[in-house]
Amino acid sequence: MPSLKDIKTQINSVGSTKKITSAMKMVAASKLRRSQEKAEAARPYSSRLEEMLSSLASSAASGEGIIKLLTGTGNDQNYIVVPVSADRGLCGGFNSSINRETFKLVKSLESNGKKIQLMPVGKKSRDFFNRVMKDQIIESFVDLNVSSTGYESALNISNKLQELYFEGKFDRCILVFNKFKSAISQEVTQQQLIPLDVSNSEKKEEKENSSNAIYDYEPDEETILKDLLPKNVSIQIFKVLLESDAGEQGARMAAMDNATRNAGEMIDSLTLKYNRTRQAFITKELIEIISGAESI
Amino acid sequence: MATISFDLVSPENLVFNDEVGTIIVPGKDGDLGILPGHSKVMSSLRPGRVMVYSEDKNLIKSFFVSGGFAEINPEKCIVLAESVVEVNSLEKTSIEKEIQELENKEGKESEEQLSVAKAKLEAINVNYYDKI
Repeated sequence: MPSLKDIKTQINSVGSTKKITSAMKMVAASKLRRSQEKAEAARPYSSRLEEMLSSLASSAASGEGIIKLLTGTGNDQNYIVVPVSADRGLCGGFNSSINRETFKLVKSLESNGKKIQLMPVGKKSRDFFNRVMKDQIIESFVDLNVSSTGYESALNISNKLQELYFEGKFDRCILVFNKFKSAISQEVTQQQLIPLDVSNSEKKEEKENSSNAIYDYEPDEETILKDLLPKNVSIQIFKVLLESDAGEQGARMAAMDNATRNAGEMIDSLTLKYNRTRQAFITKELIEIISGAESI
Repeated sequence: MATISFDLVSPENLVFNDEVGTIIVPGKDGDLGILPGHSKVMSSLRPGRVMVYSEDKNLIKSFFVSGGFAEINPEKCIVLAESVVEVNSLEKTSIEKEIQELENKEGKESEEQLSVAKAKLEAINVNYYDKI
């Protein structure tokens, strides 16, 4: 049976853990608000860009040069998978679900005979894939800190991806990231980044055509499209980074909230145990005194 | 007189959103003056100044954009710019220094940055369009 002092120490240590987790929860909550604002502020730009792109997508006839970002290379052999995780832990299943999902995706693509390369974003996925499939990593991005550096960080990733794409290193690029659904729930999502997934923008195009007349293009459609496509890649990455950042804060907040509650419960049960033990100790001493007095 | 609604959007936020009289944007093939009722145009932009005027032709604000796109229809003008700064907040000395540094570097990327920086400097120095 643990001594009174042992229990006391345990209560104290759980108490300080509780303090830390509740502080982390509050920090995450305020960061979450900021990340959410950022994600919302970025929305008008990306939605506008998508609209423009969808109204232009039909004019992409040839598959040469930059237009390849839209039409694809014509092959379907080499894939690049970009898991987007956080740089830090203590946020519940946030990172592990990304890693698990990516791992599953890679395995299933490989069993179909595709060649996979990885480009992890964030320390947690880099470390994970460094352990399990090191030779497939071609590049990794860590310490992006998207909420303070902003668009620049997305630009770096996008430039690297496009460089590799035009060197013919891969045919398809898939992002795996946590989509921010609400403060307490994130959804692991896969998004095909290159070539651009037109299946959902086609629907938009119809809507566009029915409501809007035809635009004049300056200088011409193709030039605009050539400017627009690389930007779209960057902005999609930026959007994903912001979503993932907001999701991370949300996940951390939820995880820390749980941890705080668990610590509270643990303290309660430990206190109960402490009091019981103390009572038992007192009772024992009393019995000893009484039986001692009786024997005189 | 009529007004046209103008949005200036950067990836990070919505920079400007109001009803205005006239806008001048730096189109790739030349500057475009946009008045209410403009025909539908979609244009890509070169680095330069986006000037915003009130209904009575007074300059409200001028921004420097490093490129982007403009979508114009009779009621609305939307400029998507990659980076937006107010011309007033640009500092001449720091840009001159940047240009010097970039001139010593080589490569495609720094060339692009150089042309943006030069356009920035020009944006500070010139004053045409201040009155229209």
